[in-house]
This record gives sequence, C-alpha cells and structure tokens, in this order.
Amino acid sequence: MSTPSRVLLNRVIDAAACRDPEAVAIRCDGGAMSYGQLAQRTNGLAHLLLETGLQRGERVAVFLGKGFRVPVGLYGVFAAGGLLVPIDPRSPSEQVIRILRATGATRLVTEPGKLEVVQAALAACPEVSHVVGLDTDEGVQAECFPWTSVSSTVGDRPPDVGVAESDPAYILHTSGSTGVPKLILHTHGSAISFLEWAVAEYSLTPEDRLSNHSSHHTCFATFDYYAASRAGAATVILTPASMVMPGSLSALLEQESVSVWYSVPTALVHLSLRGSLEERDLSALRWVLFAGESFPERHLLRLRQQLPGARFSYAYGSTETNVCAYYHLPDEGEIPNPVPIGKACPNSELRIADDNLRSVPPGEIGELLVRGSTVMSGYWNDSEINQRVFVQPPSSAEPEDPYFRTGDLVRARDDGNVTFVARADLQVKVRGHRVELEEIERSLLSLEPIEEAAAYVVPDREGSSSIRAAVVAGNGAVPDRWQILDSLRQILPPHAVPEKIEIRADLPLTPTGKVDRIALQTVAAKEVGRDGE
Amino acid sequence: MANEIKPGIEAEEVEGRIISFVKRELLGPGIPVSLDEDLLSGGLLDSLGALRLATFVEGEFQITVQPSDFVIENFRSVAALAEYVRRSIGREGAGAPDTGN
Repeated sequence: MSTPSRVLLNRVIDAAACRDPEAVAIRCDGGAMSYGQLAQRTNGLAHLLLETGLQRGERVAVFLGKGFRVPVGLYGVFAAGGLLVPIDPRSPSEQVIRILRATGATRLVTEPGKLEVVQAALAACPEVSHVVGLDTDEGVQAECFPWTSVSSTVGDRPPDVGVAESDPAYILHTSGSTGVPKLILHTHGSAISFLEWAVAEYSLTPEDRLSNHSSHHTCFATFDYYAASRAGAATVILTPASMVMPGSLSALLEQESVSVWYSVPTALVHLSLRGSLEERDLSALRWVLFAGESFPERHLLRLRQQLPGARFSYAYGSTETNVCAYYHLPDEGEIPNPVPIGKACPNSELRIADDNLRSVPPGEIGELLVRGSTVMSGYWNDSEINQRVFVQPPSSAEPEDPYFRTGDLVRARDDGNVTFVARADLQVKVRGHRVELEEIERSLLSLEPIEEAAAYVVPDREGSSSIRAAVVAGNGAVPDRWQILDSLRQILPPHAVPEKIEIRADLPLTPTGKVDRIALQTVAAKEVGRDGE
Repeated sequence: MANEIKPGIEAEEVEGRIISFVKRELLGPGIPVSLDEDLLSGGLLDSLGALRLATFVEGEFQITVQPSDFVIENFRSVAALAEYVRRSIGREGAGAPDTGN
C-alpha cells in the first residue's frame, strides 16, 4: 500500500501549503486561516519546540479549547517530530495531571485561558520543562513562551526531523474516569492509512469543507483535521456555543457551506429536532458521517428527509482501531434497524469469534476482532492489557498481525453486513463518550461516607443514554447529593458525572448477590419515559 | 412586536426563577451564576442541559419554545433567556401565533 511519496503527519500542512498557500485551511468564528498561514505558524511552533531541546518521540501535550490554535498545536508537534498528546480541554487539573504523568510529557502547549488548571497541574508535574502559550510564568516552574513568540518566515519549510511511517505519532486518551485513562498509541502509518482511505472513499477535495464538531483529543478530530488537510480541504471549527444551540448551528452550516459532517448521532438528532433545517439551505452538504453509537431509526429517517442532497454513512471503529468498517445508507426506502456496522474497509479484516477465538458460523453472535493497518500499535506502556486485547486466533496458519478484540458483540447478516448486538463488558456510550460504569462506582466509593455504589444507564429522550447512580452511606450518615456531585465534578469528566444520584438504604441484589443494575435501570427507565419528541 | 410584555411579571422575577432552576437542577447550589455569565461558550450548559432549561421555562412560564428559538441569542445567559421568556409571554399573551424569529 505504501508509496515512497507518502506524506506523513509532520509534512501534511507543508504539502498543502506548497500546492496552494492561499487555500483556506481553517475557518472558525467567521475568520479564516490559509494553508500558507497555517504552515508558517506550524513551522514556527516546531522550531520553538526544537529550540527547547525537544527530542524525536518526546511527548508534547496540547491542552487547548477550540479555535485557531488547535491545528497549529497539533501540526506543530508533528512537524517537530514530537509525540502528540492532545488533552480534553474540559479536563479538571486532576485529569491533566494523570495524563501528563502517564505519558511522561515534557512539553505543554496551552493558552492563557487555561492558566489556573495548568498552574495546578504543573505543580504536580515537575518533569514538564517548557510551556508554550502562557503570557506569564507566575506560579509555574517551567519556562513559558507566549503565543506571540510562535512565528516563522513565509516560505519556511518544516524542520528535517526524520520521521518514519512506523514512528509513534499521537497518544489519545479515553474519557477515563478514575485512575489512569486508557492511552492509545497510533503511528504515522496507522493514521495515514485511515486518512487515505477516508479521502478516497468520501472523495475529499480542496473544494470541501469539513465540520469539526468534536474536541481535538478524540478520534473524530483525526478525520476533521488530518483527512481535511491531507485533501487540501478546509476544516470548519464549530464553536461550543453553536453546538449547544441547534438553530445557530444549522445557520452556521449554511453560512459556511459545510460539505462533510462527522459526529456522534446525538448532535445530529438535536439538529434534526430543533435545528429549523427546513429554513436553511444546506445543499452544499453532501456527506453526513456518524459514529460512536447507534442512530435511532426514526430520527435517522427524518434527518434523511430533511437533507435530501446528502448521503449518509455509518463509520464503525473505536479510538483503538480508527474507522475499520463502514456502511453507506440507502438514499431512499427502508433503513436496516439497527444500522449495520457494515463491511470491512479495504485496509482491514474483520472476524467474528467465540470465547476461544474460533470463527462462529454465519449469523451467530460473537466478538468482533479487527486486524489491519489502521489499528493502534497498543496501549501506552501497558503490556498486560496489550496481551489481552491483541490475540492470535488458533486457525492462523501463517504468522500475521494479531487481531484487536473490540469488546463488541456482533452478528453477520445474510448480505454480509455486520450488525452490532451488545457490549461484552460494562462500557457504555453516553452521547458518544466512552464511560466505564465500574470507574464511576470506584469514584463514588472514594468519597466519604459512601459505602456502596451502583452506576447504571437509562435511555434519554434523544436516543442516547444518561448515567445515574445509587449510593448507600455508612453509619446512618445522610450524605448531601449536591456535595457528592460537586466532588465528582472534581475527578470525573463532565459526561461521566451522573445526571442524578439517589441516596438509598440498600442496593437491590441479584440472586447471586451482585448489585442488580437492571432493577435500578428498569425503575429509572419507566420514570424517564421513552418518547423522543 | 418584541416589546409587548405582559404586565405582572417583572424581569427580576423571571431571572430569579431561572437562576434558581439552573443552580438547583443543572449546576448545583455551590456554583455561582451571574445574570450575564456566558452559559454557552464557557461550557456550563451542554445540549442536554439547554434542553432541560427550555423544558423548565416552558412549564414555569406557560410558553412554547419553538425549534427556531433554539439559538445562541436566546440562551446565552440568564438575562438573555429571561428577556426571551418575557417576549414570549407578551407574544402568547396577545394571542398571536408564535412564529419565532
């Protein structure tokens, strides 16, 4: 597959800028940045990082809210030969500390608005020696550089850092509620393999404008930024305010002539229900991609009607695998329910296996295993988990790349399309974010005076899920649920904080003595009701 | 038009009720919220929170939040939302069909 001229992530912006420096690379809040300008700032950041003594493969964390600095941060680290660690901009300082420590990051790219969190985080992370993006080094041990020092000369080329395809490119973190979040390592090769597939499959060209809905630390952004830049297209960064207000969001999509959309279904359901789509001209929108969880059928049918010019595609994968399977929806008529995961991308192989890793007969349920060039090289510094998730089925005759266990239970339909059935573990999706219920329970149990805790999911009205928790306090104490929520907000990312906490005298148990989540779930689901409109 | 406000409900009253809901149900009592604080850009409200807030003002003030009213201008802050609520009360109180903006 690889060709000698394959452009790696450290040269993506340079290549686009050499082709057409005037072409728009990024749009945000009504402003624009061309590929020429982006290349200049990217090279500027790369040179600055190298001047601090950065070695190839050293970890550089990028902790930024949405805006023009994000692409500069991401591409600047690549261009310097650094190993990028994007951090969720909503992370409390505890989460930032966990990620900096676990990855051993020595540089941080951030912005003045994050000063408080950064100060708290750096106090606990003395190994971070240089910070780019702060105007003051007050309360910070590291050497600080303001954004104004990030500059280079027009026509400058990126430094020669000798990056190879098999070199690590970035470490993504999952929502990771407590302890150390899962850290997922991708190489330039696994990223590029995904991008090249995406550019070809969705025919991305310099004329396209891709929406950026998700934050830069997610695998969605891999597409929004890197695939767009690879194609010389523009990325339209959607601001947080517009994402909360569907009416403003649809107006923005019209104004910006967005042509390719990629997000979790929840965002599209909001847009469909309350985005006044009938009043907008969204004829530029030609592809709507969704991923992360299933799309409730009635919402999907309505959205397809509202956007007659667009084609719809379900991109299946995880942060670990990138997109490895896809399903293009029919333009009219019935939509299979649930929407199938589809078939393998040409650079991936899917296998449906039983507990002993033997392929199941067609039509039977098994765990989905994935092998291919887009799969991560592994969890960062965690050989124990890597040994569990990368497996070699007994039938493999020849030595081959191991398969990654997705943890998704699936079934192949008669037409060869694969359909999701359930998760094999306690991982759930909340508005597209991965959440482990057991981690939330551990967080609750770390708080006084909670002695027992159960976290469970209930369907919300948008076809996604929300989290609730039930707790039991020790010694007859009566905890304050607001205090519990306040404490949880300090340690959990926002999507992992339960929407409601119920204080109970005891938890319902199953006959085998385990906490009966289903019983809690059933009561709560009745209370919520299931109507969507 | 926009300034037809039904007498009887003062701005402070509307703002007060919205603030107490935001504190009680969305953020928790410990988090201070000012009238003009940006609820959207700062990430205080997510899309689900915005929806719960809309459902609250519908029930509390007997108005209907039209899909076309789900825009930044109406939800940016407690003050902006209170202003929108009072405009809606005026509109619906006058018996005019609500056409949004």
